[in-house]
Amino acid sequence: MEALEKALDWADSNLKAEYIELRYENLRKTTLALKDGVFTSFTGKLHQGVAIRVLADGAWGFSSTNRLDNLEKAIEEAHKLAMAAARTKKEKIQLAEIKPVKDFVKSRMKVKPREVDIEEKVKHLNELEKLLKEDSAVKSVQVRYEDGSGEKILLTNEGTHIKWDYNYLYQGTYVTGKADGKLAMARDSIGAVDYGWELMTEHEPNEKVTERLLRKMHSQLKGVAPKRGEWPIVAGPIVVGIIAHEALGHLAEADLTINSPFKDLIGKQIAPEYVTMSERYVEGGFGNDRYDDEGVPVKDIHIIENGILKEIMLNREYAHKWGMSPNGHARAENYTYPPIIRMRNTIFEPGDHSFEELIEDIKFGYYVVDFRGGQAQLNSAFQVGIQEGYVIRNGEIAESIRDTSITGVAIEALKKISAVGKDFGLEVGFCGKGQTAFVSSGGPHMKFEGGILIG
Amino acid sequence: MEELIKYGEKFFDELEIAIYRTKSTGVSIELNEISMAIVKTRALTVIRGITDKKLGLAVVDSADKGDVKKGIEQAYRMAKLNSRDEKWVSLPEPDKYHEPFKPNEELKEASPDNLVDMAVRGITLAREKDPNAIVAGGGGGIEWEESHVLNSHGIDVFQEGGAAYIYFELVGRKGGSVTPGIVDFDAKRNLDLDVEGVIERSIQKVQWAYNVRPSKNEEVPIVIGPWAIAGLLSFALFPAFSGEKLVKETTPLGDKVGQQIASEIISIADDPFHELSIAPVIADGEGVPTRRNELIRNGIFQGFVWDNYWAKIKGVKSTGNGIRDLRSGGVSIGFHNMVIENGRKSLDDMIAEIEHGYFVDGFQGAHSSNPDNGNFAVTANPAFLIENGEVVGSSVFLIAGNIYDLLKQAYEVSKELTVMPVMQTVITPYIAFENVKIAGK
Repeated sequence: MEALEKALDWADSNLKAEYIELRYENLRKTTLALKDGVFTSFTGKLHQGVAIRVLADGAWGFSSTNRLDNLEKAIEEAHKLAMAAARTKKEKIQLAEIKPVKDFVKSRMKVKPREVDIEEKVKHLNELEKLLKEDSAVKSVQVRYEDGSGEKILLTNEGTHIKWDYNYLYQGTYVTGKADGKLAMARDSIGAVDYGWELMTEHEPNEKVTERLLRKMHSQLKGVAPKRGEWPIVAGPIVVGIIAHEALGHLAEADLTINSPFKDLIGKQIAPEYVTMSERYVEGGFGNDRYDDEGVPVKDIHIIENGILKEIMLNREYAHKWGMSPNGHARAENYTYPPIIRMRNTIFEPGDHSFEELIEDIKFGYYVVDFRGGQAQLNSAFQVGIQEGYVIRNGEIAESIRDTSITGVAIEALKKISAVGKDFGLEVGFCGKGQTAFVSSGGPHMKFEGGILIG
Repeated sequence: MEELIKYGEKFFDELEIAIYRTKSTGVSIELNEISMAIVKTRALTVIRGITDKKLGLAVVDSADKGDVKKGIEQAYRMAKLNSRDEKWVSLPEPDKYHEPFKPNEELKEASPDNLVDMAVRGITLAREKDPNAIVAGGGGGIEWEESHVLNSHGIDVFQEGGAAYIYFELVGRKGGSVTPGIVDFDAKRNLDLDVEGVIERSIQKVQWAYNVRPSKNEEVPIVIGPWAIAGLLSFALFPAFSGEKLVKETTPLGDKVGQQIASEIISIADDPFHELSIAPVIADGEGVPTRRNELIRNGIFQGFVWDNYWAKIKGVKSTGNGIRDLRSGGVSIGFHNMVIENGRKSLDDMIAEIEHGYFVDGFQGAHSSNPDNGNFAVTANPAFLIENGEVVGSSVFLIAGNIYDLLKQAYEVSKELTVMPVMQTVITPYIAFENVKIAGK
């Protein structure tokens, strides 16, 4: 885009800066919110603006604007901010070297959201609600759908020029059910950046989503309160994934590693040798991309490899600080945010046990399948609300449990992993770290002999 | 602006245009230093139009007339594709507003230098007070917003105002132990932020957190701090006040108006005009006058809050609780400034009276609470052990229960009030609860 290139040329010749980056986005978005038969949002959105990041005198300045007619002024503003921050800096920020990239990133979607008529989208959401409401226990259904299609361009004064054909779609469904005077809530989310509308028709059709939601809701409506305490726990792919993401993944984000127990554990055995946790490309992963928002190619990394803490997620700034190579984890939610270190797809790698082998020796314990929300602290203490779980009694799955959460300290719980399943599952979602990022997390079924408190 | 409404009336039976111009200036802190200084300016217009009971919305990243006109056309295209909402009544009509609050103009043009200075002062102070403490994160910001909401029934309300905030996240490292992140805030409608107070409180908690003590299963008194209270109530309680949930029968408070649902020391109101309010709005997201809405008075539930849509379905008046979501453009029921009334005792005195119990600073997992029945299961972390009236160390435990049972166990509210600008703003005292069952480890 000519205006961007012109502004960058002007800034490069007129401002004293180590690095200048412009990230332009122009997207058309559709947001639909269906609440019990009524579309409370039926929105077309034009989203356009530029993010400007300037590194000057060893400090960052950032500005964002949706006025494209005076980009030079916005760049100047970012430069001024960098200079204001620079006066406080003891250690000047430097960036790890990268090879400038010129590329066009094509979409892998078969049917892009913009190619689907809105009538089709509406029909799909209505059908999902109808299917869910065929169950008489369902009292309220809320479906939130969003898609976006357009372009993203990254230009830097180092010569990087990347253009993305950028597309995504997401659907979040919330169900409230009532039976015998008890209320229960269940949620489900699907989304993709590589699958287009085929996500809704082939991979996650309404019938599949409905079946999952009703199972979760009924498991709570029929559920009993669990016995508080530390019992053997088998965690399903979705729960394993949220532990990977919340309790361990964040500690491996270089900006957070430095304050976490991971700082002193790199290169050390922190889990049994059959445990490997990766940040990598996954088929259908919501965090997949070819380059990050600094133009660095995205690389697969093993955070934990055969039980040893190996690699962490880096951007260019932290890669330089740690003397490592950047691996493509600088991501920004949109043009109103600067890129920060984020996860993409965080997963435990499968092992070799069948599900039956994982539960057969458990006299009394719990099987936790899906979560409602998860949170963790920098010391890896985590809390995960469970929306679907069951008692394991004498090696068999028994009654369901309700209003439960699990808690523990992940670096302790890791040591208590006694077996890793050979299956694999993935869930998509959003990660909040001051700004939102599309992420996935998952893994196989895993067995914990303690280390996790249920209550 | 009238011209745009007129243009929209060519397409719609009714329409609303809401224009937002925002400027946010901020600094972020990372590892004892300012990691970035930021300024964002944005203009955004939301068009909500209804034709033949069909709703259409458009959100445009611009306030230019030409772009807004395109937005109106886009909203019309959306409306034509939507199905009829038979429940739709109408957009709100003009009404009388509270006297507007004078905006603090110094915030409009405030320079990021103010924030840089405050951040540096906080970092230096924290490091002086405890060299083992790291200011792991934090930030300061000044937000300025001008909003103009108009509709084809004659609503035309312009509001402007701003607020400033600062927060620091401290982590202590001592003898191989790493404390959890300790966060403290201040937020005001001026730049006179209490950096020293924020650091003082955080450092005190870091000191307590070095001494880790085990917890066990027991029934104890606990004092819950502002951050934890705001988190828990925002997810487990406040959604139950929504009129929409009353209509849909998904609130546990459906038949509880006039009944005791909490201890009599608990009084809660949504009060945008409270003296500590950081956004004293006189109109809600759809231009309806706001007011102070009592929700719980001395433990007795007072009633529900409404936006225009659900109020008209129920046949009541909107309470001015229509909150606009700028991502989707839609309006739904929400809150402006939830205030929990304070008491007379200081936090120190409340702690001094406890022989054995805990002071909980943060809850993890409050967002997985179930507002449809009030059940929650959270991890208290950081939590501090109180022995013989003094804090002696930190701990972690689980509390699983029901918010209405917990609220009945409240026995004291502190005189200190803290502004917590999280999700909706919550202004809250420290609250003490008796006989709380905890699961220790």
